[in-house]
Amino acid sequence: MGIKIVKRHGDTLMEKLYLPAIVAGMATTFKHFSKNISNPTQIPTTQYPHQQPSDITDRYRGQHRLTKRADDTIACVACFMCATACPANCIFIEATEREDGVDEKMPKKFNIDLLECIYCGYCVEACPCDAIRMDSGIFSLIGKNREDFVITKEKLLATHGAFGKENSRAR
Amino acid sequence: MFSVEGTIIALVITSLLSLGSVPILVWMERRVAAFIQDRLGPNRSNIFGFRIGGIVQSFADMLKLIVKEEFYPKHIKFKFYYMLAPAIVFGASYLTFAVIPFSNTLLTNKGLSVVQLLPIELGVLWFIALAGLSVYGIILAGWSSHNKYGLLGSLRATSQIISYEVSMGLAIVSMLLTYGTIYLNGMVDFQSQLLWGFLPAWGIIMQPIAGIIFIITAFAETNRAPFDVAEGESEIVAGYHTEYSAMKFALFFMGEYVAMAASSALIVTMFFGGYHLPWLDSPTLYDNPKIVLSVIGVVLIPLIIGMIYWMRRSNKISGINEPQRARETKILTILLALILIGSEIGILFLLNAEMTNQIASYIATAIQILTFVVKVFMMNFVFIWVRWTLPRFRYDQIQTLGWNILLPLAIANVIITAIVIVVF
Repeated sequence: MGIKIVKRHGDTLMEKLYLPAIVAGMATTFKHFSKNISNPTQIPTTQYPHQQPSDITDRYRGQHRLTKRADDTIACVACFMCATACPANCIFIEATEREDGVDEKMPKKFNIDLLECIYCGYCVEACPCDAIRMDSGIFSLIGKNREDFVITKEKLLATHGAFGKENSRAR
Repeated sequence: MFSVEGTIIALVITSLLSLGSVPILVWMERRVAAFIQDRLGPNRSNIFGFRIGGIVQSFADMLKLIVKEEFYPKHIKFKFYYMLAPAIVFGASYLTFAVIPFSNTLLTNKGLSVVQLLPIELGVLWFIALAGLSVYGIILAGWSSHNKYGLLGSLRATSQIISYEVSMGLAIVSMLLTYGTIYLNGMVDFQSQLLWGFLPAWGIIMQPIAGIIFIITAFAETNRAPFDVAEGESEIVAGYHTEYSAMKFALFFMGEYVAMAASSALIVTMFFGGYHLPWLDSPTLYDNPKIVLSVIGVVLIPLIIGMIYWMRRSNKISGINEPQRARETKILTILLALILIGSEIGILFLLNAEMTNQIASYIATAIQILTFVVKVFMMNFVFIWVRWTLPRFRYDQIQTLGWNILLPLAIANVIITAIVIVVF
């Protein structure tokens, strides 16, 4: 490994004159300007409320939802794995006995505080039943007060997946 | 005999070009910057759905700055100087406009009238004095705000002013030698001649080196990139106006744009023929107002139709139907068409009217003012264009540039100019 000598710029007369380089730079910027002013519609900026983002894939972590089993009952068994894994402590579960014979336990309340949530996806990773997922594709949350952002079990169950694969794949 | 019409016109034009153009310049700056960087820039704020290319944003910004809370930091000892600084910056920038001639003398029914706010013989000297004064406002602001970043900003402004003012003065001296007058009207009249029969004798053609030096130092004098070290927001927060808010900040902000417009006006006056159209001096304009008017009438048609076409094509999002914008496009199309028809009718009316000396003079004045305004806005565009192309100079680099390069060049230019003038 020898020493690599990097060529120093700025010693030639052309470079010391500054102006040729400045003119070249201004030509570059003017090229961009004239291209964009002659047809502003081709600027790649997404004009958000009118143009929705097109780059949301099934790996995008959007708003949470609770999945259902094949028989259309809740897949969650209230094991508290997600609440334990949650680094933001934004999942609040109250468990109850399950009476319909499908399973033993289910959540009575399943609240997620979306203002606390950091959308890390650990709850999805932790879930043994594929019961909680973030594949709703919802990225914009609107509410008028803080309580609007605490999303309940019913709302979580009513949210649909945006990329097919509606039901839990656990069993 | 001296009448006031010209002064009133000059007052209106001065106010429009300095104060009135600030929102337009801010909008221009943001949109040009956006287009240079392949972005869109502000295009959302609107009044009843009218966004007019986003220019409404500037008025919203102004309104916000006006109604914002007046906040005075407690640690400021000399409130008087703290308050005085933005007033100096803004007032000095505004007053530099006073000596700019906007058109040739106007012939009214009371006599000749100069279209210039202050028709004084000082001319360029007034500009140098007041443009230099605006830097004192910056220095005072940094010092009186009792803040280390403010002080650093004003120190940088000081280091900058000592490096460019001398070269600027010498560049102007060589122009004074060329024109033989310090009166700006005289300079503009000189530039209406032709060089070797075909080139307009503009300052930039006769004195390219002085022109370049003056333009560079004018950038430094208005505190704009690449010489905006006094602000240096990436290095010293906001420099001299760190402690300023609301309207006091707005005065600095507007002062920068007014200074830019004033510098553009002086550059245009001294180097780009002032209010003269190239190859069309004032006597020719007075003698043939009808020909000039008909040319304008013909040129206006493709210009406005092209503008309508461009507006209709660009005022939309491709592939999305937006009723608000569609409505705006429709109304703007009608408005532009009405402007076209109205001005064509006006021109036809003037062409058929009997051409007295007075009407010819008014027409010539209007054309020359329009020429001047267009030229000033083109120069303003150059200011903006440079700002979004070049990175900021370090302040020792500015000093090197000022003392080691520009000053010897300016002195050499003065000497050569003097020799040429004495010999020939």
